[in-house]
Amino acid sequence: MRRLSEHEEGEIDGILSREDEILPSSGFAVSVMDAVRREAAILPPIAFPWRRALPGMIVGGFVLLLVLVRGIVALPQLIRASAGADLRMALPSVSLPIFQGNLAYAAIWTVLALLIALAAVKLSMRLGSGSV
Amino acid sequence: MRQVQSENDVSASDDQADVERVLAGDTSAFEGIVRRWQGPLINLAYRFCRDRGRAEEMAQEAFLRAYRGLGQWRKDAVFSTWLFALATNLYRSELRRIPAYMATVSLDDIAEPADARASDGGLEEQDRDSAVRRAVWALPAKYREALILFYFHDMDVSTAARSLGLPEGTVKARLFRGREILRGKLAQRQAVPRLKEA
Repeated sequence: MRRLSEHEEGEIDGILSREDEILPSSGFAVSVMDAVRREAAILPPIAFPWRRALPGMIVGGFVLLLVLVRGIVALPQLIRASAGADLRMALPSVSLPIFQGNLAYAAIWTVLALLIALAAVKLSMRLGSGSV
Repeated sequence: MRQVQSENDVSASDDQADVERVLAGDTSAFEGIVRRWQGPLINLAYRFCRDRGRAEEMAQEAFLRAYRGLGQWRKDAVFSTWLFALATNLYRSELRRIPAYMATVSLDDIAEPADARASDGGLEEQDRDSAVRRAVWALPAKYREALILFYFHDMDVSTAARSLGLPEGTVKARLFRGREILRGKLAQRQAVPRLKEA
């Protein structure tokens, strides 16, 4: 494809520069300002209460870290237990020490989990209503 | 030229003063910005969509976004540069979402003259203008947008590049390629003998 000659460039430039200007309709600025005022009247979104939530988040993070550390510490025991026995036979009985125990032990864990969930819901509702 | 520079300086300082008032909580100060820039923003939108009603809608949305994002304007660039970049970005995404009617013209459609009688006189010129505009509309978006911004900003590549948020070299390359495609298509057309002669 050959290059455009100066004449052709000029001709295309001339045509595309000759754009008709359109004038804004008479109510345009008023309409924009109405929309802007509506926008300004809307309350800004509630910012996340970092200051209030931070202690809870730190505690939550610490608990998560603790569980992870316990899990990692328990892992070699789990591997040793599974290596010592026939894998197919041993698997159903092999579990983390945290899950071992009787029915009462499981019930305590369940109640504890429910209490934590309830506390989390209550706290988030109080944070949301700003009453904390 | 000096007078234009002086007008631009006045406008820039007016813009800055209005932005500061809006950020301080005086919403009505935004009207000054709207009154100063409504014409350019509507005309830019019109070049993108060729529909007056839609151009005003898009310009209104651009002003609203500018209002919401006023705090993000870093004063290292002139306010109008920031405003045009924001508007251009919005217009491009709007046109990608709902293409303008004219944008559906195929490049091949412009090869034949619309009116067979248009081989001389004013009709020929009118037809040539129309063909060039239709050819621009049929270009791939990236070339079309570069051409629209280039001619909107009085053929100033650096301003067009800032509006598009692209390096100058990229814009120059797109302008060159866009014109090459235009020339190729227009040269096929019988009603533009002057383009072929040169």
